Amino acid sequence: MWTFLLRRLLQSVIVLIGVTLISFVALQIGGDPTYLFVSENASTEEIERARALLGFDRPLHIQYLSYVWDVMRLDFGTSLTFRQPAMDVVLAALPASIELTLFSLILAIVISIPLGIVSALYRGKPVDGGIMTFAMIGQSIPNFWMGIMMIMFFGLYLSWFPISGHVPFLRPLFQGDFARAFGNLPQTLHYLIMPAIAVGSYTLARNARLVRSSMLEVLQQDYVRTARSKGISETRVIVHHALRNAWLPVVTMIGLEFGFVLGGVVVVETVFSYPGVGRLVFNAINQRDIPVVQAAVIVIALIFILLNLIVDLIYARLDPRVKL
Amino acid sequence: MTRIKTLLMASAALSLPAAAAAQAPENTIVTALSADITTFDIAQVSERGNSNIMRHIFATLETTQPDGSIAPDLAESLEITEDGTGYIYTLHEGLTCHDGEALMAEDVAYTFNRAADPDNGFTGNVPGFLFSGMQFEGAEALDDRRVQVNIRTPNPIARGLIAEVMVHCMDAYEAMSIDEAGQNPVGSGRYQMVEWDRGSQVVLERVVDESEAPVERLVFRIIPESSTRTAELLAGNVDLVTNVPPDQLDVIDANPNSDVYIAQGLRRIYVGFNLSDEFAAMPGGDAIQDPMVRRALQYAVDVPSICTQLLNFECERATGLVNPPHNHPDLEPYPFDPETAEAMLDEAGWERGEDGTRFSIRFQAGRDRYLNDVNVVQAITQMLQDVGVDVDLQILDWASTYVPLIRERNAGPLYFLGTGGNIWSEFIDMNDLNSVEAGTNYTHWDDPRWFDGWDVIRDPSASPEEIEETRLEMLRVFYEDGPWLHLYSQPDFYAMSSRLNFTPRQDERVYLWTATLE
Repeated sequence: MWTFLLRRLLQSVIVLIGVTLISFVALQIGGDPTYLFVSENASTEEIERARALLGFDRPLHIQYLSYVWDVMRLDFGTSLTFRQPAMDVVLAALPASIELTLFSLILAIVISIPLGIVSALYRGKPVDGGIMTFAMIGQSIPNFWMGIMMIMFFGLYLSWFPISGHVPFLRPLFQGDFARAFGNLPQTLHYLIMPAIAVGSYTLARNARLVRSSMLEVLQQDYVRTARSKGISETRVIVHHALRNAWLPVVTMIGLEFGFVLGGVVVVETVFSYPGVGRLVFNAINQRDIPVVQAAVIVIALIFILLNLIVDLIYARLDPRVKL
Repeated sequence: MTRIKTLLMASAALSLPAAAAAQAPENTIVTALSADITTFDIAQVSERGNSNIMRHIFATLETTQPDGSIAPDLAESLEITEDGTGYIYTLHEGLTCHDGEALMAEDVAYTFNRAADPDNGFTGNVPGFLFSGMQFEGAEALDDRRVQVNIRTPNPIARGLIAEVMVHCMDAYEAMSIDEAGQNPVGSGRYQMVEWDRGSQVVLERVVDESEAPVERLVFRIIPESSTRTAELLAGNVDLVTNVPPDQLDVIDANPNSDVYIAQGLRRIYVGFNLSDEFAAMPGGDAIQDPMVRRALQYAVDVPSICTQLLNFECERATGLVNPPHNHPDLEPYPFDPETAEAMLDEAGWERGEDGTRFSIRFQAGRDRYLNDVNVVQAITQMLQDVGVDVDLQILDWASTYVPLIRERNAGPLYFLGTGGNIWSEFIDMNDLNSVEAGTNYTHWDDPRWFDGWDVIRDPSASPEEIEETRLEMLRVFYEDGPWLHLYSQPDFYAMSSRLNFTPRQDERVYLWTATLE
């Protein structure tokens, strides 16, 4: 176990160096961003001064090594647009993203697993066809389109949900303001429902299909037949014998999905004016705010690494054959 | 994707019965903005939406009015030193900042000098544009109420530029780091900030008498997606939307609870001719060196049709780089006349070849910066091709590719650009080309009939009549032989709830202390 964790830690360092290097090079390909931070009337001297101030006058490899050295000292640089520590800017947006991610995944998991099981149990029947059609639609509809349709119907026409915006829950919670956090909670959930459905619909549909195929495979295994022949109730067979084994691919997918949703739902965040990390990074890329992009890349990479670790640990727990 | 979303939005809005409109909070104006707010430091801000909010929090020495006049704000009077390089402002008595600190002349001087201090590394509009435009030297307090702003040489636009600088007190800002100052504005204006939920909204509350600002509370919500902004307006949750895309105007206008307002903006949109030596050696770059070719191309572009078809408004084609009312009164916009264009190109020696082409030329433009810019440049490309010019249109990413090209004065030989304008001085719009080497002379145009005119304008001994005569002659030269293919001043589209009484200005400034609610 400890050897496994140590090995993963070393792998994580390599992954972090890789993602920072790739993102650094990708941003540099876009050219010198100095011009975005000086006025149109700036003289050559003013441009040079700004370039030196922003640190873009140094050779690229020096810039990167200097950046890595700073990161090792937990200095992630200062945002070029916000003029604040880049990591602070990213961490300020992170709670909103975690709220959206958790809520959309919970929604997706709670709905997709029963749908997948029912679909597998009634394979080839109309129920199965209906669920799979629903899943197909969920996977096919672009989330921005679904978002706009929900805004028009449930927000504008029926006025059931707020059209856009966000009421924070985790941020006041992390700040220790529990009264405000829990006071906000009903509003937080109210604001989250439409974006969470838009984000989670794809995951829901994919997981339903995954659970179905996984269950179908497991239900044909000898140990399931054996369990049934022992006279165990069908519910117990499904929950204790089949589902536990069918879980494995689903757990992997959910783990990856968490990281993806956390940093990659720019369109949904934009449509619903949701102040998450995805929108922050998108704007930072447009504004060439390199420190913010780098800080966000590190945070998202760390979350991916952590999630993969958790998934592996869960794997070992679910499947005794897996040794860490 | 934007077009698809707009279509969906429009069809949905029209097909559904009108929703029962909610009401935005009482005595509160809710404004929807497209861009995030990044700072509340007057020396660091550069984005218009951001500075519009800040202008409610911070006052200025003087203020520019919608009609272009300049009126007192914190200062009750101004005198200019004999040599024209010192602007002495006398402050009103009894001014205070939001933290209760008295606002004195030394606070004003501190504000100016702090923004100019290179050690602070500010890159905002104040040090980068206003100070470089006025050639700021420094500010000093003469006594408690009189402050002098010094500039290097007499400058006809300095007063208007000084009027843009927002003022704060000294003690609060000396106690804060630059990071803190960007997040905790201690202002001198009509409103103070009570909440900044980053990425979501900014809330301001009135600190002056109702007669100075009728509405008690202002909420600025960040809603990046235009169709969502429109939906919030139609739902009655928002009172004012700026930068409405033209294709959503009909949906908004059809709703009984909202109205559209089109302001003739001052941002001048043009196609530049880059006349640099480097481009003169390139295909097409050689052709546009000839003023007759440049003039011929003016006739090839149908600007009124571009305005009505692509921008959804009726425009009058510009005759130069100066917005009305300071434009040349006797110049007529070039008509759309492709036959004249072709005849002039023949006469200039660029006849059609066997393939029907006169010459090839590269045309560069940034993407998604100006109203419908991609469609506009595609239309211009087609019109130029119709008169035999083979145009290689390159649409580039604005931030990463196009801005560096423009700033290095290396875009072209044809390039598409918009540049902010104003009307508080007859010279402000001309200032883009205040010298051949000016950073904003992206064309490398060097006609002495234009650039020598600046010597007369800056000469303190020149009479007003002499200056005006010179100015008009410069505008005539620009019209006939200048480096711009004249297009239009960009309109600004606003959408408002029916309960809001507000008249938008031409200069993109949104000052809501002039607004009332029904």
